[in-house]
Amino acid sequence: MLSPDATLVSAIRSGDEQAMAQLYERYSSIVYSVALRVLGETGAAEDILQEVFMQLWRNPDAFDATRGSLPGWLAVITRNRAIDSLRKRRPETDISDVVVSVEPDLAGSAELNRALEKIRGALGGMPPPQRSALEMAFFEGLTHTEIADKTGEPLGTIKTRIRAGLLTLRKAFCP
Amino acid sequence: MSVHEQFAEDLSLYALGALRGQERLAVEKHLETCQDCRHELEQLQGDLALLALSASGPRPPLHSRERLMAAIAKEPRRATVRLVQRKPWWIALEWATAVAAVAMIVLLLRQNTDLRQRVAALEADSSAQQKQLLQAKELIATLTSADAVHFTLVAAKAPPQPQGKAIYLRSTGTLVFLASNMPELPPQKTYELWLIPTSGAPIPAGLFRPDSHGSAALIKPPLPTGVEAKTFAITVEPGTGSAAPTSTPIMVGT
Repeated sequence: MLSPDATLVSAIRSGDEQAMAQLYERYSSIVYSVALRVLGETGAAEDILQEVFMQLWRNPDAFDATRGSLPGWLAVITRNRAIDSLRKRRPETDISDVVVSVEPDLAGSAELNRALEKIRGALGGMPPPQRSALEMAFFEGLTHTEIADKTGEPLGTIKTRIRAGLLTLRKAFCP
Repeated sequence: MSVHEQFAEDLSLYALGALRGQERLAVEKHLETCQDCRHELEQLQGDLALLALSASGPRPPLHSRERLMAAIAKEPRRATVRLVQRKPWWIALEWATAVAAVAMIVLLLRQNTDLRQRVAALEADSSAQQKQLLQAKELIATLTSADAVHFTLVAAKAPPQPQGKAIYLRSTGTLVFLASNMPELPPQKTYELWLIPTSGAPIPAGLFRPDSHGSAALIKPPLPTGVEAKTFAITVEPGTGSAAPTSTPIMVGT
């Protein structure tokens, strides 16, 4: 059975502007927040917000509703696009190559708030160096090599911290 | 977890877009054949989505919605019918191979009408399409093999000239590019192909370095869809490429 998100994406495929408006109401805050966290500037974050939703309008088939969650997919492609913008480079990943498997249901504000509580709890429980490595890699777009240079820690330690941090987040929903 | 241990950490870095060069290619090659690692990559993208959501809170300014809806209204679309379920890139690779191979054949046979009829017939006949795919793979292997010998025929007594052929499909942003007789470059330099749109700045269309015979190919580099190309051009750039041309084009399409 199609989820409401999948139904809206299907309507967008048919050129339905109202469906686009509904998805914007649902997920513009997620997209804008992620872009703002990466770029730190409201005007630039708004540009990424426009770009991400226009990409969905132009190419709705890039999102495969049978294999992932729309808010998760939007969050990841927004981060990738914002990092590209931060580093002033061309888009490196085809958005249709991004498949996001997210365990929690994020479709409603109550579900999203419950998930947020768990995510922030998991981040708060991480050792600070692990959380820092993870956030530098994700929100600042630094490579493991750049993080190692910046922190003076061994490269292997940084790789391990990043992976362990991601698995900690996953375990918050699949204990 | 059944993920291959030697790829466990690299998969996290790959999901973050932090791998470059050989490390990235090695992961992509492994993903082509390992379903467990593909599944793990999807899980890791989900973990990254959770991390992204930790930033949730700020709401966009109210005028953003009007700006988006106005932009959408300027781009009304015809309804499209989804004919096939989209597959991930490693499965789509076979399709890309077929598209690239068809483009190669078009190049080799000078886009003659006979080929168009053959393509149409192949689309209608799945068994014939399978046969065509096998032929296409052989053709790609021939074109990309290090052992293949390349000859460019020119007027007698004329010295070989650098040549590039770009075949571009605007609606999908698909590009196949072949080059021959390209001069060698210093190690710290690379060739960069540019899509020159009818309006706006040049769009990077891929980096390449010719092999020892001066040949190179770019198959389906990442490009936005729907951009109308005025032409293509090649510049020499620093080894990691540039977001905008930093030198005068050495070759331009006609």
